[in-house]
Amino acid sequence: MAVDVKTWASKFKNLTDNDETIQCMGKYYTCSFLYDMTDRKVIVEMHDGKVKNINTDPAPLDPYDFALRASAQTWREFAKPVPKPMFHGIWAASFCEDLKLEGNLLVLMQNLRNFTVQFELLRKCGVPV
Amino acid sequence: MARHSPVTGRYVTIEVDGNEYKVFYLHNGTGQPLICQHTAGAHNHQWRGLLEDEEFTRDYNIIAYDLPRHGKSDPPHNKEWWKEEYRLTAEHYVNFIVKLCDALELKDPIFMGSSFGGNVALQLALRRPDRFKAVIPVEAADHAPGFFLDWWRHPHANAAQVCASGVWDLMAPQSPEMDRWLTWHYYSQGSEAFKGDLYFYSVDHDLREELQNIDARRCPVVMMTGIYDYLTPPEATENTARQIRGGVYIEMEDIGHFPMSENHEVFRVYLREALRIVKERTS
Repeated sequence: MAVDVKTWASKFKNLTDNDETIQCMGKYYTCSFLYDMTDRKVIVEMHDGKVKNINTDPAPLDPYDFALRASAQTWREFAKPVPKPMFHGIWAASFCEDLKLEGNLLVLMQNLRNFTVQFELLRKCGVPV
Repeated sequence: MARHSPVTGRYVTIEVDGNEYKVFYLHNGTGQPLICQHTAGAHNHQWRGLLEDEEFTRDYNIIAYDLPRHGKSDPPHNKEWWKEEYRLTAEHYVNFIVKLCDALELKDPIFMGSSFGGNVALQLALRRPDRFKAVIPVEAADHAPGFFLDWWRHPHANAAQVCASGVWDLMAPQSPEMDRWLTWHYYSQGSEAFKGDLYFYSVDHDLREELQNIDARRCPVVMMTGIYDYLTPPEATENTARQIRGGVYIEMEDIGHFPMSENHEVFRVYLREALRIVKERTS
């Protein structure tokens, strides 16, 4: 049973805002990105390393810098405490599974350290699909 | 009392294809020479666990060098290297390794390298089987396209962090956090060389039509790959080893693309087996 999206958003924000690895270099980690889980979409807006807002019901024209799109099953694999090989990161899953990286990837690269650390927090809070 | 490591470092100057290189290497152990190549964009600290592992240093003369432009090995001192783009070729890479082994007077060394060091191990088995007792290509394949990317040194991004975090999930989530972050740290230091290294790794290295010309009965080839390696997945290494006469493939559980650096304790178990096979086939 998938966790409720509002509950998930609260957990994800709390984990991010209190993560020492992100916060020690959080200044300028400012961008927005879409997690497209097929059955559910959310837009995460970051400002200086903190979650400014999580849009849990994005409208078609709501903006973001870049997007990660994959099947719900792939997102569930991302969220396992110890993911299977090829589901253990965005590079692995985009090379070998169905993850697509879209949008302004320069923004992703500019924020790659913190984005990567934050993405792995899904292993602690799960995903809402 | 100072807590000195038994590992020592030295510089040796060699000439390769008209380039004068002052090469830094770390060393520990006695016996059979075992020369170790780090991965692209990194340096010899990736072999820190092996260099201090008494089970191996008891019988092996272990040498881990920094390729020029990496770690403490400078770019060539006799060239205006800053005026041209660095792109490592298979030929130059092979020539460098052979010249270094000659300069260090290594008799029948075993060559071991990971990632682009693994791919050059295959090149050595093809081009210079007479010079090496055996090769151990780690995380290697006949062909590894897709990583020669502009992102590694895009001027609008922090190249150090792009390289370091871009290879983060080449490592297994089970590997110790400290070792993964040390590997990250090494990668943050090598961004200017990383893309040029990957010219060899993803472009110039292509042995798909050459594997039948490698004879592992003459120069044993023992390949090892971790199951979390997305860049050279286990099936790519296995497929390569299968096409080499006498080639051996060992799959490594719960480890990724930088096994010696991300988790030496797991890696050493497989390395012990690889060296046993080499010994069996060469004695």
